[in-house]
Amino acid sequence: MSDITVDTWLYGELARYGGQADKGSYANLQVRLQAGRTVNDLLAYLNMPTEARGITFINGQLSAMPGLQPDLGHALRDGDRVAFFHLQAMWPFQYRLGAAAIPEMADAMQASQDHGLHHTYKA
Amino acid sequence: MSTSILRINMTDLTYRVEEVPEAYKHLGGRGMTSSIVADEVPPLCHPLGPNNKLVFSPGMLTGTAAPTSARVSAGAKSPLTGGIKESNAGTSWACDLAVMQVKAIVVEGQPKAKGKFWGVNLAWDAAAGKPKVKFFDATEYAGKSLYEVFPKVYERFGNKVTIAGCGVAGEYGYCNAGIAFNDEFRRPSRYSGRGGLGSVMGSKGLKFIVINDDGAPGVQITDKALFNQGCKKMTDALRTHNITKPKGTLNTYGTAALINVLNEAGGLPTRNFSSGRFEGAGSIAGEAVFDGVKQRTGKETYNHACSPGCIIQCSNTWYKPDGTEHTSCLEYESIWAFGADCGIDNLDDVAEMIRLCNAYGLDTMETGTAIAVVMEAGVIKFGDGKGAINLVHEMGKGTPMGRILGGGTALTGKAFGVIHVPTVKGQSMPAYEPRAVKGIGITYATTTMGADHTAGYTIAPEILGVMGKQDPLSPEGKAGLSRAFQATTAFIDSSGHCLFIAFAILDIASGYEGMVEETNGVLGTNWSAADILALGGSILKKERAFNEAAGIGKAADRVPEFMKLEPLPPHNQVFDVPDSALDSVFAEL
Repeated sequence: MSDITVDTWLYGELARYGGQADKGSYANLQVRLQAGRTVNDLLAYLNMPTEARGITFINGQLSAMPGLQPDLGHALRDGDRVAFFHLQAMWPFQYRLGAAAIPEMADAMQASQDHGLHHTYKA
Repeated sequence: MSTSILRINMTDLTYRVEEVPEAYKHLGGRGMTSSIVADEVPPLCHPLGPNNKLVFSPGMLTGTAAPTSARVSAGAKSPLTGGIKESNAGTSWACDLAVMQVKAIVVEGQPKAKGKFWGVNLAWDAAAGKPKVKFFDATEYAGKSLYEVFPKVYERFGNKVTIAGCGVAGEYGYCNAGIAFNDEFRRPSRYSGRGGLGSVMGSKGLKFIVINDDGAPGVQITDKALFNQGCKKMTDALRTHNITKPKGTLNTYGTAALINVLNEAGGLPTRNFSSGRFEGAGSIAGEAVFDGVKQRTGKETYNHACSPGCIIQCSNTWYKPDGTEHTSCLEYESIWAFGADCGIDNLDDVAEMIRLCNAYGLDTMETGTAIAVVMEAGVIKFGDGKGAINLVHEMGKGTPMGRILGGGTALTGKAFGVIHVPTVKGQSMPAYEPRAVKGIGITYATTTMGADHTAGYTIAPEILGVMGKQDPLSPEGKAGLSRAFQATTAFIDSSGHCLFIAFAILDIASGYEGMVEETNGVLGTNWSAADILALGGSILKKERAFNEAAGIGKAADRVPEFMKLEPLPPHNQVFDVPDSALDSVFAEL
């Protein structure tokens, strides 16, 4: 099975998981994984515990928020852009309402109390 | 006399201290400014003429020990939008006004002599038990940088005073002129930036209002026990929520924490709203500011308070490569306007433009978006930081180019034949692309203020009553949420609290209770959460009625046409919320 390349962005203190790509306030690295690998596999490659990340995007689509991570099993594709934010990042609801989300996240929000109206979520 | 309304007549340089009418006695902040403007300003008057009035009002809680409550609202008919305007700022000037028990200053009339400017020195008359005013000739302070004249005003009146003033932009009558207030370090860096209110001040020949609160009686609190209980709940909420707590999001990265998030979401307006993603975002984001300050000063620095009693403390300071101060404050919208929207990824260039806006008295957002429009027109190239700095200087000098830019983004678009003009009701959109984040687009389109990101903060789901009834992602559901958000935001804008309390009180229910109890404690009211929503709604109705009488009805509740026609990368979406949903926001209020 051929490899895939994931355009990976690490923000704030997560930049330290980027190794040599660490620019202090962010890191951008191209991660090669086997086809069919998931967000969980990417985290393992980076040696980054999933609890360390908060807001997460896959190709500009929201995939996780602090305390709400339905994206761990999401299969990544070649060329995907994945962005992991530190736990102090914010994306308040009024600036988020109607924004794109991966299907797993959209379903999780829909199923949550108040349809995801909050800023942070309890794990 | 207890609380009062202070009327300052600039036609004959006189003043009057009046009792607060019964109908206004529980109003403050935006509720007060919008009520007085709606009741007293002819909707069809010229915004820079003698019949417009400039109103200042501290919030209901301002001047008390309620945390993060030192806001003052400024209101008038806006030169930028032609409609009603409220723009608030956090500053110790707000507290000084509040402790004199002045519920509103109403600046009226207009001097006949041109080219002269006046200052107002407001102090407490202990013998009479009411505020007193002295006028002084302020012409010597005109035509200069506010960084130059603020120290002179302090030298003249003492370091204890607080200052509100307009810069040269307000003297010129620019539609993008703000009102500057002092910060905690006596810098002219806190702004009622939006809507051209600095020019309303300048049009009245009023350069400064200088307050000395010595001997002032303080804010009356009707039920101290209830007030203290509310303050404790609010304080606890702010100190525990991840966004507002010490060393939390805002205290560490400031509002610019949003740059990278909006960029990844594909919603960071870039190069005059032609893309939702900027390749240089990482270099200008809040994380980069924090890291850059650490590199240049040799230490980690957390942000400071813009005003007394703020426990969120989100204001930052940027430093030059040699470690000396460059400017404060690098807010999200300011960085975005001069950064991503102009294609500029150099924080020093961005900071210099923010400093110049403080110096000249300009709204950073309207200034940056106007520059982006002339970049599209080819006057200078996107990404040309030094060229953009020169354009801000042109505004300060009052050159023909500067005056076009100072007229705002919409005027600039007309002058240069640019179709992509990101405005609603003449006011430029802030840093959230409505094609990527459609809920905010509904608020941009419908708010009485013109495109405004602060018009609809999310609070209090338990009282909104809309989440369970409609799909929040349907057009109708989004419109219902926008309506409720706009109403509750109008209340917070009246309370004197900074809008950023909304982050904490949404997630921590006792924080919301605290806000209600603080307010009831001060005013002696018995408002419930539902009453607060109703009060906010009543403010919106007054503002809407003023706008309709000024000729700004529902036809103006639309985003620019190009956003309906041209898909925005990277999501390639257009703004497709139907007009019927936009119309429902106020039709069902």
